[in-house]
Amino acid sequence: MTQFLLETSWWVPIYGLIGSVLTIPWSAGIVRRTGPRPAAYFNLLMTVLAFLHGSVIFRLTWNQEPVEIVFHWFQAAGLDLSFALDISPVTVGAMELITGMSLLAQMFALGYLEKDWAMARFFTLMGFFEAAMSGLAISNSLFLSYAFLEMLTLSTYLLVGFWYAQPLVVTAARDAFLTKRVGDVLLLMGLVALATMAGSLNFPDLYDWAETANLNPVVATLLGLALIAGPTGKCAQFPLHLWLDEAMEGPNPASILRNSVVVACGAYILIKLQPVLNISPVALNALIVIGAVTAVGASLVAMAQIDIKRALSHSTSAYLGVVFIAVGTQWTGFALMLLFAHAIAKALLFMSIGSIIVTTNNQNLLEMGGLGPKMPATTTAFVVGTAGLVGLLPLGGFWALRLGMDDLWTERPFLVVVLLLVNCLSAVNLTRVFRLAFLGKTQPKTRRAPEVPWQMSVPMVSLSIVTLLVPVMMQRLSLLPGWAYVNQTALLLLCFSGLIGVVLGVIIELPRNWSRSTKSPLRFVQDLLAYDFYIDRLYRVSVVFVVSQISRLSNAIDRYVIDGLVNLVGLATIFSGESLKYSISGKSQFYLLTILVGVSFLGFLMIWLFDQATFREIIEKVVLALNG
Amino acid sequence: MLSALIWLPIIGAAIVAFLPGNISAKITRQISFAIIFAAFIWSLVIAIQFKPESSTQQFIESLPWIDSLGLTYSLGVDGLSLPLLVLNGLLTCIAIYSTDEKIIRPRFYYSLVLLLNAGVSGAFLAQDLLLFFLFYEIELVPLYFLIAIWGGARKNYAAIKFLLYTTVSGILLLAAFLGVVWFSGSTSFAYEPLRTHNLPLGTQLLLLGAILVAFGIKIPLVPLHTWLPDAHVEASTPISVLLAGVLLKLGTYGLLRFGLGLFPEAWQNLAPSLAIWAVVSVLYGAFTAIAQTDMKKMVAYSSIAHMGYILLASAAATPLSLLGCLYQMISHGLISALLFLVVGVVYKKAGTRDINLLCGLLNPERGLPIIGSLMIAGVMASAGIPGMIGFISEFLIFRGSFEAFPVETLLCMIGTGLTSVYFLLLVNRVFFGRLSEKVVDLPQVQWSERIPAAILAGIIILFGVVPSWLGRWTEASTTAMINPQPAIAKVIPAVSFSEAKLP
Repeated sequence: MTQFLLETSWWVPIYGLIGSVLTIPWSAGIVRRTGPRPAAYFNLLMTVLAFLHGSVIFRLTWNQEPVEIVFHWFQAAGLDLSFALDISPVTVGAMELITGMSLLAQMFALGYLEKDWAMARFFTLMGFFEAAMSGLAISNSLFLSYAFLEMLTLSTYLLVGFWYAQPLVVTAARDAFLTKRVGDVLLLMGLVALATMAGSLNFPDLYDWAETANLNPVVATLLGLALIAGPTGKCAQFPLHLWLDEAMEGPNPASILRNSVVVACGAYILIKLQPVLNISPVALNALIVIGAVTAVGASLVAMAQIDIKRALSHSTSAYLGVVFIAVGTQWTGFALMLLFAHAIAKALLFMSIGSIIVTTNNQNLLEMGGLGPKMPATTTAFVVGTAGLVGLLPLGGFWALRLGMDDLWTERPFLVVVLLLVNCLSAVNLTRVFRLAFLGKTQPKTRRAPEVPWQMSVPMVSLSIVTLLVPVMMQRLSLLPGWAYVNQTALLLLCFSGLIGVVLGVIIELPRNWSRSTKSPLRFVQDLLAYDFYIDRLYRVSVVFVVSQISRLSNAIDRYVIDGLVNLVGLATIFSGESLKYSISGKSQFYLLTILVGVSFLGFLMIWLFDQATFREIIEKVVLALNG
Repeated sequence: MLSALIWLPIIGAAIVAFLPGNISAKITRQISFAIIFAAFIWSLVIAIQFKPESSTQQFIESLPWIDSLGLTYSLGVDGLSLPLLVLNGLLTCIAIYSTDEKIIRPRFYYSLVLLLNAGVSGAFLAQDLLLFFLFYEIELVPLYFLIAIWGGARKNYAAIKFLLYTTVSGILLLAAFLGVVWFSGSTSFAYEPLRTHNLPLGTQLLLLGAILVAFGIKIPLVPLHTWLPDAHVEASTPISVLLAGVLLKLGTYGLLRFGLGLFPEAWQNLAPSLAIWAVVSVLYGAFTAIAQTDMKKMVAYSSIAHMGYILLASAAATPLSLLGCLYQMISHGLISALLFLVVGVVYKKAGTRDINLLCGLLNPERGLPIIGSLMIAGVMASAGIPGMIGFISEFLIFRGSFEAFPVETLLCMIGTGLTSVYFLLLVNRVFFGRLSEKVVDLPQVQWSERIPAAILAGIIILFGVVPSWLGRWTEASTTAMINPQPAIAKVIPAVSFSEAKLP
């Protein structure tokens, strides 16, 4: 039985896929009589199954040697594309986290999308989403992981584009797909090169290869940069970060997953690739730079957002930037721990703001206020989520950041400063959002704000409890250090940075009619941050402009040069168009003959020009043939 | 066995052409569909009896025809042509099924479609250069009429352009074939004994050049491509399906069979330039597609880009890249057929294909939601999303070609990124957004219009999930295309990937 359950661990992603397929009759509108609910229940049921199966496997793999399962998917012409799965506590734990989050998010969606006509379609996409992510967690082959990443790109596109009739959604979905696609194509380039050089794309083989590989430094650098491009897009890191902010136009239950586990999937690949990236010091340094720039930049930008979802999504980019730093400095333990803590806390925060949005029908922070006493569960969830994320109280985020500070303490003091800064800024931002949304006087849009229905509050409260229990889980997984080993200076600094952040967040002035400042330097900074440092405009005048100009140029060449030449030649030929009306009925047979004769005449003419001897020979042969 | 694939549609065409005049267009369609479906089933029977492990021609039929010319009626099928034959049958079925019920002059139309099918099958089966040429020419006559009679507004222009181009292609091909036979001193046009390795290299290059231009027009490759967008725009939907799905494959098939197959040595010499040509074709096609506003034209330019991958892979000529060629031919055949079908439905319902006029067609009640979903599936398959056949074909091509031409392969991969740019543009403009005022009262889509596209989407996903079902027919043949010729086997290590070649 044990063996059976372990060997069938690849079923877990399949459950999600089955759930997705089962809902198609509802989402395609074939079944209308029952309403969309049954589709949601099918999906939930499959996710519960996946979660249960996953938790059994998790207990079985605990303290066991990792099991490897290999399917030979495609073997031809010397190529062996295999689907390798790695069943170890870490991978199965990641899969559990994903199915668990998916379960909560789907339950949440039952309430959130209750009145949406396309609820069934949403669940179809969620099943697909979940399948791709949980497959990614246990994949042990870069090829398979790439395939799952692409499926994630596709489902992100469809989920962001869920409310496709809204203009902002249209551009958001497009940008999400294209930005990720840029990263994915670069990753594919790296993948193809790696496959050619290393021979296999399974991670263990790649690690063996990377240890002995003797590459030209330029090739190694290009390879390394190509490999980090995919995760950069997926994790919304600079310069491929804009999509996550725009993706907040999509439905909130998908945002819960996107900001917690989907971005983590990109980082997860990066962690898996880390031994391969060691071949290129430039790539590792690039990771640190990208991570640091994004972490600080996104934390700053987050503070200037007035859309409640966007304020939090930029914070996601910032935390993933810290994960990039961790991978770049080769501290993968720190990276995994931060991903875990961040995923849970951020999911909780997104559930909380999802409740706000559904109750107030509003995402603008400036029109909120006074929700605290009206929505106790939501408020608690926000507070707990913030505490779980910021390094101040001894919850998940605190312990993860502490580990990072310990790791970086001696070798990279500069990065410790970045960590502290991110922690401080994120505390400022979350405190600011909390004050705007929950404290203060009620506003017209928050006057009637009852607590959300049970479909939303149950997952929210459960996740609040889970967030509070994260340190206990870490204890059980022996991730927490003994008191004797703790770097107390670092601990103090971390608490201090969090505290400063909270205090700053409390004392800064937050006028409700937060218009642009009249002081021009302040206004400049405010605008700069509110509009993401104008990076989207930079893209519009650079990449987008260049591509559209090249396409217009090639279209013009096509139309006027190539086709113009052709038409010129065409005019001179005997078949110059309008005199022959082929479509008149009854005459076709005649024209058929004309064309055949014309074609063969032209053929012989060409042969004659081409080679007169040959021509004579043909004539002779034809004459011979005719004479018998 | 094989002759049936050619003669069944030809006889069918004759029957349909001489049906009594009082039989309705609908019945005519049913009769033609029955005939072509029988041919399709027959091709499946052949596929089942085919022995995948053998690399040689199978089910060979040979009859002397005109001895003094050296022309024999000899047919055979191997792993390269078999999948294309089945594809031809399938897409002709779909084309006939999706033809408008009330088409004018139905008997002439359906007999031409059947004739087209016969011509294409004959070309894939022919084991004699002259026979191939005959079928290659025969196929263009029905296609010309199908565009010129049942086409759109500028049908005459498009049809004549198509005819002129293809005629030039045919003439060059004939010249090259004659040259091959006479220079090599062969007594017949039979494919098998022909080898060119004792010809002087200059002659080989000249002949190969003619063949490249000939098939380059058919494939089509930039700058020989401008007939294709016009032909697609003017042709009716079923004809576009056949044109993109099957007829372009004659060019790539010919490139492999008669370019690489007959001139291994000269091919090796030209391969680096061919790879660059492929890059130009891919990038040019992709960039031009971005600028299009007509959905059909966009798909047509995307065809040009996607066929460029095949040139890249055949230039690399590794066992893997050649297998990738076959995958790409099948995948492009299925995907472009799906895209044209869906665009056809949109055009029929909305009356326009202009992406600046259409908007919000995914609308659940008054739009075309299922057609829109199929379109999204099609464009994603075309952009190479895993789980669909487009991904594995592109991956095989890139993985197989990277050994030989790393830089060119990477440049071609930019094309896959651009594919998502233009197709996303299309989906976003046409299907997303608010339903536009101009197209607000769309007629209901019938299930009969969805089914062909749904079948194609199903096959695309099926082969994307289990691609080995396709490859087992072909692997022996494509590997054998390289291995028995020591010239290439010797050269491959020399051009194979070395780090020094990267920038």
